[in-house]
Amino acid sequence: MSEVQDRKKFLDKDYTRRQFLKISGKSLAGLAISSSLLNVLCVSEKSIAEDKVRVWAFPQGLLVVDMDRCVGCQRCEINCTLTNDGCCSSYISRVKVTRNLYSSRNGQGLYTEDNWTYFPDTCRQCEDPACGNACPMQAIYADENGIRRVDTDKCVGCGACVQACPWHMPTVNPVTHKSSKCIMCGACAEGCPSGALSIVPWDRIVSASQAV
Amino acid sequence: MSVKNGINGWAGTILRVNLTTGSITKEDTLPKYRPYIGGMGIGYKVIWDEVPLDTDPLGPDAKCVFGVGPLTASGVPCSGRMNITLLSCWSLGYSIIDAHMGGHIAHAFKYAGYDAMIVEGQSDHPVYIKIEDENVTIEDASHIWGKGTFEANATLAKENGPEFDVATIGPAGENLVPMSNIITSFGNSGGGGIGALLGSKKCKGIAVRGTGAVKIARPMEVRLLSNYMIKDLVGGNNNHTVPCHAQSWSEYVATKNRWQGAPGITWDKAPHGQIDTGEQPSGVINVAALRCNKGVFDFGEVAEKYTVKQGGCSSCPVRCYTEYDMDPLAEYDLPTHVSNTCMPIIKMLEWYPNHLDANGESVPSTHDFADEGDAKMILGGAGSRAADDYGVWCNYGNLYEDFNMAYTSGVLKDVIERENPGEWEKIPWALMESGDPRWVVDCYRRIAMREGIFSDLGLGTYRLYQKWGMDDASKNVAGKNFYDFVNGKNFNIGHNGFPRHHGPENCWQAGTLYSMMYNRDCMIHHLINFCSSGAPYNEIIKPVLEHFFGEGCTDPQKHYTPINENKIKLAKWAFIGKQWHDSATLCNWMYPMTIATSKKRQYIGDLDLDAKYMTAVLGEEYTREDQEHDSERISQLLRVMTAVSFKLNLGSTNLRKDHDRVSDWVFDKEPDFKPFEEGTVKLDREDWEKSLDMWYEAMGWNKETGIPTRETLEKFDLGDCADKLEELGLI
Repeated sequence: MSEVQDRKKFLDKDYTRRQFLKISGKSLAGLAISSSLLNVLCVSEKSIAEDKVRVWAFPQGLLVVDMDRCVGCQRCEINCTLTNDGCCSSYISRVKVTRNLYSSRNGQGLYTEDNWTYFPDTCRQCEDPACGNACPMQAIYADENGIRRVDTDKCVGCGACVQACPWHMPTVNPVTHKSSKCIMCGACAEGCPSGALSIVPWDRIVSASQAV
Repeated sequence: MSVKNGINGWAGTILRVNLTTGSITKEDTLPKYRPYIGGMGIGYKVIWDEVPLDTDPLGPDAKCVFGVGPLTASGVPCSGRMNITLLSCWSLGYSIIDAHMGGHIAHAFKYAGYDAMIVEGQSDHPVYIKIEDENVTIEDASHIWGKGTFEANATLAKENGPEFDVATIGPAGENLVPMSNIITSFGNSGGGGIGALLGSKKCKGIAVRGTGAVKIARPMEVRLLSNYMIKDLVGGNNNHTVPCHAQSWSEYVATKNRWQGAPGITWDKAPHGQIDTGEQPSGVINVAALRCNKGVFDFGEVAEKYTVKQGGCSSCPVRCYTEYDMDPLAEYDLPTHVSNTCMPIIKMLEWYPNHLDANGESVPSTHDFADEGDAKMILGGAGSRAADDYGVWCNYGNLYEDFNMAYTSGVLKDVIERENPGEWEKIPWALMESGDPRWVVDCYRRIAMREGIFSDLGLGTYRLYQKWGMDDASKNVAGKNFYDFVNGKNFNIGHNGFPRHHGPENCWQAGTLYSMMYNRDCMIHHLINFCSSGAPYNEIIKPVLEHFFGEGCTDPQKHYTPINENKIKLAKWAFIGKQWHDSATLCNWMYPMTIATSKKRQYIGDLDLDAKYMTAVLGEEYTREDQEHDSERISQLLRVMTAVSFKLNLGSTNLRKDHDRVSDWVFDKEPDFKPFEEGTVKLDREDWEKSLDMWYEAMGWNKETGIPTRETLEKFDLGDCADKLEELGLI
């Protein structure tokens, strides 16, 4: 079945994680999303149409990033590094908001003309990951849930993954000299005080899709 | 950085930048500064050791100390503030004060690997200090000298790269205007005249990038404590713990407070569709940032129309800076993107007092813009952006109150016409009288550029009143002493040149006592936070506070009672607690967690939380007693330095008489009432003297002079302070 037909039939099927994996990271624009699912995702039709909401399939549920809700508190980075690195940092955080907060490469942020536009970048868990493909040590692998992880025994900290990723999401930790990337632990969303990052559990997605 | 050097909490390094010689050196934070914690504590110890207290605050030997503490950027919520210690160039005694700056730069500084930066000397040309991890350089700033802070910050951010945070002074600081600040993020400022100090050093500002990390001994414990705090304890801005619009989960509802978020309260200018703030139940993290909606508190629901989102400081879930896009300002060719959380945006009507029309009638100067009652907001937007751009500090509103009182009383006109004939006619009064937002912009321009006698307002209350005779009823046309007279615009707490923040108007003798302890406005919110929390007094506030401090420690609003020991205990907790916040660093507007949002906890907060964070971060036990002992050490040092300044600069040997004197209006207001009657907040003079006696005893100070005794100072290992006081004949 073609991708176009797949997308048209989106609403006909029960939502499962496998279904969302197909559209994970891709634009939702053009899909007829039901209002009950819009409610569950806490996003507007306009956000979807203007491509300002992205969803990624995590084991726990759907990660939804709503840029209008990001309030620049940086707690996503704090929670990420407390959980995964045992310290507090912005640079090695696997979710990245600080680089968009001041004056980002897109000319957005507090010190630009577009000063109220700032939001976190998240790892896309690409099916065909540029980071993994670039790694000379084959240190980036997919675990049984499809999460791309770094095998720190193999990683030599060369930074090829950082350069290869179109969004420069991995970071080579300056202390451990190992690449660190998002492993979908969900700490960022759990601790986000505005719901800019949220994980909607799969059973809520399924029941929303079934609502008349 | 701390992960490399193995230190928990602290970054471990203090920078020293000498702008005369260009030398940049580094020192270890520990063990020397361990008893002083960080931030303000480090600043005070450095100034005590290195800067004689009769040093010209804007001279080549003056120094300032930027500082953060072991809890800054350690994952703790509301730890995004930076302290800057300096000598005051504008308040009585020219003594020790601090500026404080929010936004994100404290975290950047800590991640770069520093606990403090001492700035000394003076450059002979405009420079800024660039910090990129271990690389610190002094860079040329000629291209941004003379620019407003918005343009200067944007330039530095663009030039240095996306991960740099920046802070700059404006023309006010460059022109050595005492009422000047440093601006970072959007609308976050450090005040106290730091702009003038940096201007005197030709230092335009700083640019900081940190790729480092802060080492945490027990990171999951910090995360768990943070989650617990956000779920069960913290409320909205100023820790208001009861929502102002009924929510289904909440037992209580407030009358008017800083928790305005609720179903139907919206961010109308969210770019992709209105966001409804909905309910924000206690126990849920993911909605905490939807609570405050400062704009609605400040201006009413008309603020929703222009609200894009809510901003604030690193690590804080509360977001007390409403970020606006105010369309009406475009008609006046003024920027529409504005944001501020306090005086600069909420008090701009003070620049628009009633004026006399052609018939000599007193008429309002303001009008609605697009909606009924929106003048306060629109003028606020224009004023705050102008104030921040010019880098003008307002001395917690005294700047505008002094203008308002001087204008209304005729003093302004009298002084200007006498001192500079012709100036009055050139001032664009028509803009003020027509409620034009460009009036307030022009006021700030005049002050920043030191244009005319009008710009004496930028001297700050103490020096302004001296110059214009406002401190002596026989020397001004109004025949008033503007420190003392009963007037709704007179917020002076004493004769020192700064206002209450928050003192007798809400916080009985306790607030008045700690208001007098500084050389600028005290900024202590320990008491005002629970007073205004929205929680009912008899059901929650009284029982919770008495649970912590004993019977009679609090009074209800407008029904004070005579002083007692438990009120003194409460006052001391708040006073030393402020030093704790500015050393740790934690936000003075949010901590402590006194009243909780959680009904399960019977709304009782957790005053041991700060010590729990320290223990988790440091990996060694740090108790509340430790916290209070270290905080009191810094408090004693503050008092010692105040005493020394007053001796060297004023010849004073008695702080009780010369520093702690409270303005008459505190006792004389509301003449139809007697003190301690229901309906008044006036205090009683005799009761006040008794309060001072008990306060000095609690602090270990001489009852007559209010100066710390040697015995007290030795308790805190401040024997060298006692030596100095003895040398000066103060003890």
